Amino acid sequence: MEKKKKIVLTGIARSKGKAAGEALVNRQRIGWAFNHVGNEDGMVMAPGADTKGKIVTGKIFVYPTTAGSTSGAFSLYYKCKVSKHGPAGLICQTVHWIDINGAIAGEIPAVDKLNKDPLKVIKDGDWVEINAPEVGEKATVTITRKQA
Amino acid sequence: MKKKMKLTKLQQEMLDGKHGEAKQFCMDKLLDFGKAVEATEMVDLVLTLNCCPIYVKDRMQPERLKKLNEYDLGHSPLYDPIFAMKDAHVADESGTQCGNDPYMMQLDKAKEILGPPNGKPWNFEIPGKGSFKLDQEMVAGFQAGYDMLMKHGWLPWLSCNPYLNTRIPKMGEYAASSESSAACYINTILGARTNREAAVNTVYCAYTGCLPKYGTHLDEFRAAKCIVELTNEVRDNIKGMADWGALGAAIAEKAGNRIMAVLNLPKKMGPGATKNLISCASPGMNDPMMHLMGYTPESPTLEAAFKGKMPRKPERYKVTMEDVVEMYRHLNAIAPAPGPEKAKPVDIVFFGCPHATWDEVREVARLVKGKKVKKGVKLWVQTDTPTYFMAQHYGDTKTIEDAGGHIFHQTCIAMSPIRHYPKDTVIATDSFKYVKLGGGFGPKWIYGNPEALVNAAVTGVFTPTARWEYWSKPRKERLASEKERPLYQGEKPMVD
Repeated sequence: MEKKKKIVLTGIARSKGKAAGEALVNRQRIGWAFNHVGNEDGMVMAPGADTKGKIVTGKIFVYPTTAGSTSGAFSLYYKCKVSKHGPAGLICQTVHWIDINGAIAGEIPAVDKLNKDPLKVIKDGDWVEINAPEVGEKATVTITRKQA
Repeated sequence: MKKKMKLTKLQQEMLDGKHGEAKQFCMDKLLDFGKAVEATEMVDLVLTLNCCPIYVKDRMQPERLKKLNEYDLGHSPLYDPIFAMKDAHVADESGTQCGNDPYMMQLDKAKEILGPPNGKPWNFEIPGKGSFKLDQEMVAGFQAGYDMLMKHGWLPWLSCNPYLNTRIPKMGEYAASSESSAACYINTILGARTNREAAVNTVYCAYTGCLPKYGTHLDEFRAAKCIVELTNEVRDNIKGMADWGALGAAIAEKAGNRIMAVLNLPKKMGPGATKNLISCASPGMNDPMMHLMGYTPESPTLEAAFKGKMPRKPERYKVTMEDVVEMYRHLNAIAPAPGPEKAKPVDIVFFGCPHATWDEVREVARLVKGKKVKKGVKLWVQTDTPTYFMAQHYGDTKTIEDAGGHIFHQTCIAMSPIRHYPKDTVIATDSFKYVKLGGGFGPKWIYGNPEALVNAAVTGVFTPTARWEYWSKPRKERLASEKERPLYQGEKPMVD
């Protein structure tokens, strides 16, 4: 029988909401502008990014904080609400103001200040659930990993 | 218990709907954001800098949506609810002046997309690689968005540089600039205060003239955290516009995404040099503030740059010429252009991201004077409207056009869907910002100084200058060669 390992972390909600999806982990700073993650396909284009060439759509995207353009705010909103190629939720070491702005407008949860470094704990392909009921309040992140 | 946002009488009235539906809608959105960043008051803005939308009917219609997904930076739908409100207006009670970044083409040239390719960014052909033309419906949508904004009282500057000549914020004033290079210049050189404003907020800022006080509005987030010092060799040998960009990037890199105080800068930095140094902000660091000692008005001393919290031994980093050279290498390796090291074929050579200042335009004109751009190669200069007309008046435009180059205002290729340029297009530029931001889009990139770039436009191949050959040698070899043919100018201050 397949074994599953569960890890629960707590952090602070910067944008509220509930979301679940597979984790996509990017160890470099990265922004959400159309030139870093395509508005038309959700594909990561940022040079040097771990996730370059991968699709963010429906994923829980894990990264340290933003990099690059302020248009990350509206490009994230656009991917979530208009082109429907956006991520399901964001987990950062620090959610930058630009990404808070985009996540609120895009109506997806964004969480930071977890009790463990999400970049070390969360692995690509983990199933991650975010529960972030209120901005500025406690949020939980539940990680489920298939064990070989 | 969290503190509640304190509002002025006008702000409260806007929130209560006494100044119309649009202002109330925008206040609501700003308060949501204010809560997330734990702001307790609003700042009163003098300038809002944002992006002009593509305004179309029924943007979710599948075929139109497909096109919009390629063309829209993502901001346009944010305007839809505001455009539907009859009372939307900016720059009224608040006195905030609002305007936009460049856009995908020069408005009065829209008819040119109907004709054959003419070598301009909206309709061109690259021999052997293919062609690119802006979509007519998208251009019409931009014109419609622009017309709506003009009706609402926005100013038609369409440039990333309004802070140089159109709306210049003063020391201590507040601005909301979603244009990062402008944000860093406004904080660093003008002493006014702006975040690299998240570009959803800026839509709402425009209609209300206010914004929650947070981030770089506050001393806490403007304070230097470390010192970056240039060696004398750097101070005396930064010459071309690409050098300034690479230096800015090297400074940002050393500071590791923290605000820094920069020591030992050259005594003179021209407008283009300053702009290029500072525009490393967006791609190189998240906080739009550099304490350039000798230039930044709020930082007459290091103590002031650290906002009174300078540690006894602040972290200190040095920038050497090797660091600057390394930045060139880094940029040229992002999406490397094919071909021999000393003769890489180019398709497009462009200047002006952020928009070229007049000294930059004049430099291109000086370099290309009496020469001809090679057939099939494009030479593009993008600038703001005041500079465009100065260049026209004083003859720089004629020089550039006589050589076969083009000069534009209101637009820049950064706002064009260059992801859809012909495959493997090679673009050479002196814009650190754009190579860094557009590096993943598909074209191949070359980063170089104006002298080498204009030479590339004329010959069709990019060849590094003798100066690059010199500085890119290992230090020991370079110093040995200096004995025979000295290039290093010692203690002399540099003039650009």
